Amino acid sequence: MKRGAMFLTVLALVFAAGAGGVKFQGSAEASAQATTITVWLPFGGRELGVMKRTIAEYDNKNSNVKIKVAGDISTTKIVAAIRAGNAPDLAMDFESANIGTYCSSGAWSDLGPYLKKDKVDVNIFPSAARYYTQYKGKRCAMPLLADVAGLYYNKKMFKAAGLTRPPRTISELTAYAKKLTKRNKDGSLKVVGFDPFIGWYTNSNDRFIGMFGGKWVDSKGKSILAKDPAWAKMLRWQKSLVDWYGHNKLVKFHAGEGDEYSSSNGFESGKLAMNLDGEWRVAFIAAEKPGLAYGTAPLPVDDAKPGLYGSSALNGSIAGIPKNAKHKDQAWALLKYLTTQDHPLAQLSNGLRNVPTTKSSLASPEIKPDKHFSVFLKIYAHPKSSTVPITAAGVQYQDLFTSFVTKWQAGHAKDLAGGLKKVDKQIDAQLKQAGGGVP
Amino acid sequence: MSSASVPVAAPLVRRKPPWSVRRRRFLIGVANHSLLIVAAALFLAPFVFITLTALMTNNQALSPQLWPRPFQWNNFVDVFHQAPLLRWALNTTMYAGLATLGLLLSSIPVAYALARLRWRGREAVFLVVLIALMLPPQVSVVPIYVLWAKLHLVGTLWPLIIPNWLGDAFTIFLLRQFFLTIPEEYLDAARVDGCGEFRILTTVVLRLAKPAIAAVALFSILYTFNDFFLPLLYVGENPHNWVASIGLSEFRSVHQVQWNLTMAATLIVMAPVIVLFFLAQRAFVEGVTLTGVKG
Amino acid sequence: MSLVSPMAEAGAASVAPAFDRRRAKKKAAWRRRRIVLAFMSPWILGFSIFFGYPLVMSAYLSLTHYDLLSPARWVGLGNYRYLFGTDSQVWPAVRNTLWMIGVFVPLNVLFAFGIALMLARARTGSGFFRTAFYLPALAPPVAATLGFVYLLNPATGPVNSALEYIGIEGPLWFNSPTWSKPSLVLLGLWGVGSVMIIFLAAVLDVPRHLYESAELDGCGPLRRLRWVTLPSISPVILFAVVIGVIQGLQYFTQAYVAGNIAQGEASQAGDTSGLNLGYPEDSTLFYPVLLYQHGFRYFNMGYASAMAMLLLAVAFAVTLVIILNSRRFVHYQGAVR
Repeated sequence: MKRGAMFLTVLALVFAAGAGGVKFQGSAEASAQATTITVWLPFGGRELGVMKRTIAEYDNKNSNVKIKVAGDISTTKIVAAIRAGNAPDLAMDFESANIGTYCSSGAWSDLGPYLKKDKVDVNIFPSAARYYTQYKGKRCAMPLLADVAGLYYNKKMFKAAGLTRPPRTISELTAYAKKLTKRNKDGSLKVVGFDPFIGWYTNSNDRFIGMFGGKWVDSKGKSILAKDPAWAKMLRWQKSLVDWYGHNKLVKFHAGEGDEYSSSNGFESGKLAMNLDGEWRVAFIAAEKPGLAYGTAPLPVDDAKPGLYGSSALNGSIAGIPKNAKHKDQAWALLKYLTTQDHPLAQLSNGLRNVPTTKSSLASPEIKPDKHFSVFLKIYAHPKSSTVPITAAGVQYQDLFTSFVTKWQAGHAKDLAGGLKKVDKQIDAQLKQAGGGVP
Repeated sequence: MSSASVPVAAPLVRRKPPWSVRRRRFLIGVANHSLLIVAAALFLAPFVFITLTALMTNNQALSPQLWPRPFQWNNFVDVFHQAPLLRWALNTTMYAGLATLGLLLSSIPVAYALARLRWRGREAVFLVVLIALMLPPQVSVVPIYVLWAKLHLVGTLWPLIIPNWLGDAFTIFLLRQFFLTIPEEYLDAARVDGCGEFRILTTVVLRLAKPAIAAVALFSILYTFNDFFLPLLYVGENPHNWVASIGLSEFRSVHQVQWNLTMAATLIVMAPVIVLFFLAQRAFVEGVTLTGVKG
Repeated sequence: MSLVSPMAEAGAASVAPAFDRRRAKKKAAWRRRRIVLAFMSPWILGFSIFFGYPLVMSAYLSLTHYDLLSPARWVGLGNYRYLFGTDSQVWPAVRNTLWMIGVFVPLNVLFAFGIALMLARARTGSGFFRTAFYLPALAPPVAATLGFVYLLNPATGPVNSALEYIGIEGPLWFNSPTWSKPSLVLLGLWGVGSVMIIFLAAVLDVPRHLYESAELDGCGPLRRLRWVTLPSISPVILFAVVIGVIQGLQYFTQAYVAGNIAQGEASQAGDTSGLNLGYPEDSTLFYPVLLYQHGFRYFNMGYASAMAMLLLAVAFAVTLVIILNSRRFVHYQGAVR
């Protein structure tokens, strides 16, 4: 019997530990006056601190609400939480293309009624931002800061190689890249002039095709990767440069590279002479390597399409209210503040060096002038800057294309035209399966 | 070999084999040992490298250098600042403890019923239990996830713990095999004495089955400790409830993978299991005999 | 239906008169049934909820488009048409999984058996060796994978550095589409200890007299291996093969973690939008990984269910094949004795 009693005590202790430790996510704070709302952000580290400071300003001004901010949130986390019924009140996502899935599945609430009630005019947003915050007429997100890509270049290396200005065309880019590249004695890469590898750091399909002016879909919403010649041109150029470096040498170079958002970032530590990167890098360099002598410029474009110069593929962060959020009204108030008022947008832009997303905030006097950053503001305003198509399958179709591209650049897909046609078919089928293509 | 009354040449006596045979056997033995030493070295080498890396600075870990200069013992402390290892340990212990407890409580009666109670359809049901073993979890994962989501339990460890309280096919199989070796006479003696089946189970069988139960509990603890897929699914999005396996796979500092700290964390996560092994070697061996050899 | 052995029952029965005996028997039978039900109840419940129900539900969901956010939308055989017709990732995933099973399981059994043989022969230090081989099998899969990804880093890892020292340019291991699966096999073989221990026990268990009589018949060591050792341990070989196949069909953790880490994309904790499962070039995209991707990263739970149905069919077929063939190769000790 003594053993039995001991057994029961152990059982009780284990259960007590269990009840104490395993908490149900989303347990409401017992707060007397203020309602607590939870905000989920995809930022981390220093950037998260910037967001938190801006949100704290709002928090202090509004005593009826208390805001809990969580960072390092990914798309999967948001989706999983909504499915499980533990959604935050306000969620933010880096990838604007996800609006298709959020809207079509009803995961994020339709903000139309709120916009009407508070008489918010969506024309304060630039057209691209208006496009990627709605799907099939339903607006389920507000744009909160946008991203563009540009060319960063190391001024010291340029000077040493006798180059006076950043490249403007693809052929110039290729020539500069080859000139600036240095190799070790054993043939491995020491300094890479320009890394053409898709899938590494910020090199993505949409940013590369932006340099060639290609389109993903036609007016009917069908995938035109095979029909639009820009794709083949871009892929052939990209592969020829990859081959010049040596595909496996590039992989090895990447394996020894520091992580993109760490202080050992390849460009910041002088292993890359030129780099395609987003406007946020300006803030990172200022924080981590303030002494770096660098310049920023628009991305080089196809020699045959000089009119594209100064534009870039656009991306934006979107913020919305999950459909099963518990405090939708308070969340909307915060959302409206963050996305439509000049002051918070300018503040965030200064801290994060992201592009503010209202026409008025772009011209706000609060924005601290910075010669590196102003280049990106101009790129954002360029009429040819565009964003990827929004579909009900979110970013899924891009993954299909990336799967093909990684094989192509490794030389494992010989038939470019046939391969692109196949990807087109798969994308169309996938969009149909997801219940809706491009509207 | 008994010496018969029938006359035979001479009883077979183990004489010392000739020198050539002995030398050949010795050489084979040496070759065997050398191979074993090389193999053992290869098997232990990763541990050595991981430990060496755990003692390097981050920059050294990113370089091809093999020997830490200097020895950063404080890495093992830094790891705890970097990531909530204690929180993970608590979650893992809770998962392992509650799951194992439930597993034992629910599987023992079932195994007993399948081994020592006689009823029609017993063997057929046992076959069904075995079939459940063959099923990859991915087959049933989607509807079960939907079920737990509707119950608002996704994000907690309960979807992992609760199924163990309703029997586990592998445990039932092992225990049933063991119960089959308990002589029927013990049980009959108890029955004649008027004991109900439940009392027989708790008094006679449990006492005899202690090594088997220890082995099964050990397997369960190991399994829950190593489990990754199900925790990824259910608590992957809720860092507060991460278990050690998930935490380790997501071990990053703010924006980068610090390999020296990651290897230190890897060692720390490996340590409890290895300690457990050395403490409970006998139970391990028992468990092994339960599984394989008895077919 | 009797729970008790006939002897005891006969003893009890001879006491009461005939009519009461029948009634008592009926009551006893009922009590027995209740007891069996009580004992079996956890499993019955567990089986229905976590085996029976999911199978039926999976079949239903496979005919719908379901994202757990809006109600399920009926699509009939649409998911299956996509699965067998258009999905470009499914057949590589199937091939990868079958490759893993076809390559890893035999290698694993071979290594386990080989090392067990060597250990059985060694007299001195067998305890140390046993521990040395078994210890890696104790390493949690995630920890072991992280360790191996680091060790096999093509640029800075110790393995390639050592190879460079002796003049060989090491392959790209986890970053190469041709070497990623072999790297995973190496990782798996590092854990051969758990199977090896079972083989060791079996090899040591082979009755000596079988060897002796074979030796007397003039069998050399190789023939003794083929005709005495192998048949005697064939149940263990079957066991190892079955376990290996079952694990191969569920292979997820190591591929997922290795692909993630080897990519080097450490932008956010758990960020998936840039993540490329099956890195590099779909070479580590195994069937369970693809299923996870569709069901829990994209919004396709219906499609994931269709994939699950296919997996079920394959698992069933493979198990059937093994069990049917096992009768031909496996000898149980009972028959010999």
